Amino acid sequence: MSGAGNRLEGRLAELRAAGRRGVAPYLTAGDGGLATTVAVLAALEEAGAACVELGVPFSDPIADGPVLQAAGERALAAGTSLGAILDALAGYRAAGGELPVALMSYANPLLRRGWEAACAAAAAAGADALIVPDLPLEESGEMRAAAAAAGLCPIHFAAPTSPVERLRAAAAASRGFLYVVGRTGVTGSGTTFDAATRAFLARVAALSPIPTAVGFGIRSAADVRAAVAHADLAIVGSAMVERLHAAGPAAAPAAAAAFLAELQEGLR
Amino acid sequence: MKTSAYFDDFGGVYAPETLMAPLEELEAAWLAAREDASFREELAGLLRDYAGRPTPLSSARRLSERLGCELWLKREDLLHTGAHKLNNTLGQALLARCMGKSRILAETGAGQHGVATATACALLGLECVVYMGAVDVARQAPNVARMELLGARVEVVEHGQRTLKDAINEALRAWVSDPDAHYLLGSALGPHPFPAMVAEFQQVIGREAREQILAQAGGLPDLVVACVGGGSNAIGIFRGFVADEEVELVGVEAGGEGVASGRHAARFAGGGPGVLHGCRTWLLQDEDGQVRPTHSVSAGLDYPAVGPEHAALRARGRARYELATDQQALAAFALLGESEGILPALESAHALGWVAANAAAVAGRRVLVNLSGRGDKDLDTVLRRRREGRA
Repeated sequence: MSGAGNRLEGRLAELRAAGRRGVAPYLTAGDGGLATTVAVLAALEEAGAACVELGVPFSDPIADGPVLQAAGERALAAGTSLGAILDALAGYRAAGGELPVALMSYANPLLRRGWEAACAAAAAAGADALIVPDLPLEESGEMRAAAAAAGLCPIHFAAPTSPVERLRAAAAASRGFLYVVGRTGVTGSGTTFDAATRAFLARVAALSPIPTAVGFGIRSAADVRAAVAHADLAIVGSAMVERLHAAGPAAAPAAAAAFLAELQEGLR
Repeated sequence: MKTSAYFDDFGGVYAPETLMAPLEELEAAWLAAREDASFREELAGLLRDYAGRPTPLSSARRLSERLGCELWLKREDLLHTGAHKLNNTLGQALLARCMGKSRILAETGAGQHGVATATACALLGLECVVYMGAVDVARQAPNVARMELLGARVEVVEHGQRTLKDAINEALRAWVSDPDAHYLLGSALGPHPFPAMVAEFQQVIGREAREQILAQAGGLPDLVVACVGGGSNAIGIFRGFVADEEVELVGVEAGGEGVASGRHAARFAGGGPGVLHGCRTWLLQDEDGQVRPTHSVSAGLDYPAVGPEHAALRARGRARYELATDQQALAAFALLGESEGILPALESAHALGWVAANAAAVAGRRVLVNLSGRGDKDLDTVLRRRREGRA
């Protein structure tokens, strides 16, 4: 499952070859129950999502704003565990699901298993990439080795505060895409695509040898349009999670597809 | 980073990318400041003329008689604002000023670090925002009032367990959103350089205590005992004695209602290695790596992780970590008041509580306890528990 065999790298290569950009929804796994999460994955695949970022809930999400904190608390209260999430993902793959999935987890739930075991289990379940928001380059050596051995793409972050040498190093250490933090802050609150933000996105896109994905604070088709002006993907997290929660488990798949269609207007 | 982020296998920099540049800037400023004679002189001057250093070393004569040991108390409770926290906040606030930062973010559990931060900010003319869990706001109300009187804004944290852990989560989020501010972390934990830097600002406790006990008692102590939440008062006094191999170092964690009850904050007794709030250390967590809820009668010890240098000292066998329960701490609170005329903070009462509960083991020995804070802030808690027949 390495190289061209990785679903995420394959999908991004297809997009680039076709001169297209994509929307990548973020889901908190287990919010509304894992059966809902799997049904939403299928609906998003049907509706043409480029890929999905699948978040493992954690008790202390220091990079997340109120919406994703609350979603994580709901998922944990419902008994969601990393093992159950990977089982659900394996079920989605067994049923023929082909959407590329980047698993997002804070370091501790993965460290509890150990990097090798965690990456092997994630890859075996059908994950394609791993995003660890509290694991900067300095601490990521073991994770990168384990991800490479398992055929997972390690994905690092580029932040507006990162000096250029850190941006280059993050891009060089990542596979699949480089995750560009669109705003200085936690997830959720709106990003203003002002001149400084646009210049930052353009600078990162120019120095990154791999595709880039912009996340944090993208809530509308207009935001998607601004983001993909300088990136391959727009990641939509809090706004998607809010919609799914408001719809409730039964209506979540339809709500996900409808909101994705709305966001994809920004790709035209 | 220019210096090692690790104490053996513990520590590190497990921070979101947005904070990496601010952490590197902080490390650079700290490394420059410690080599800068004018910074060191200004800090020493504030510690002496404003904070009241050196703090005394008191012989606890009546309590020594009752316990059958030779008990000495390092009186950090007599430092301005009533706890050791000011050693660190004056240092970091000066550092923030050197970095040209005018806004300070901080977390607090018992409120002592919040008060010490608000104090240093008032002194140096810095804006101050303190994050505090709603549970702690309720049980440490006098300190909330003090922070506000000192001009700080107190942000009440209403999610998670609503204690120190959640206050740190929220302060870190605030710093991610506002990296031009300085995050003035209050204990020897978090991402590098905080554990090393906070310990260095606190090691004045141990340096003084070693000189004082040599002069007043005529020799080194057999044991040095300190309570350990994050562990800044403990690392501060331990560092003075860590090279004296014959001195036993004992950290006392919050045993709450007992380890078997599950309601405690005894990381070494009930946890394992993990990553929380930027560092790898001993952590109370479940089998899935989720951080477990904690309990202690003392807000300052009610925290699921321990400073990484303590994890390393324990792994090396240089320090050992024991626990005192809520009841033992409350009993020690009363005991020190009645026998020495000192009401200790409930945090510090854990260190004394361990000594009192292990009187047979320390009989005839010279014991130095770091009395890290005074107990005025805890009167409501103690009196309520007495009314309820639980103290």
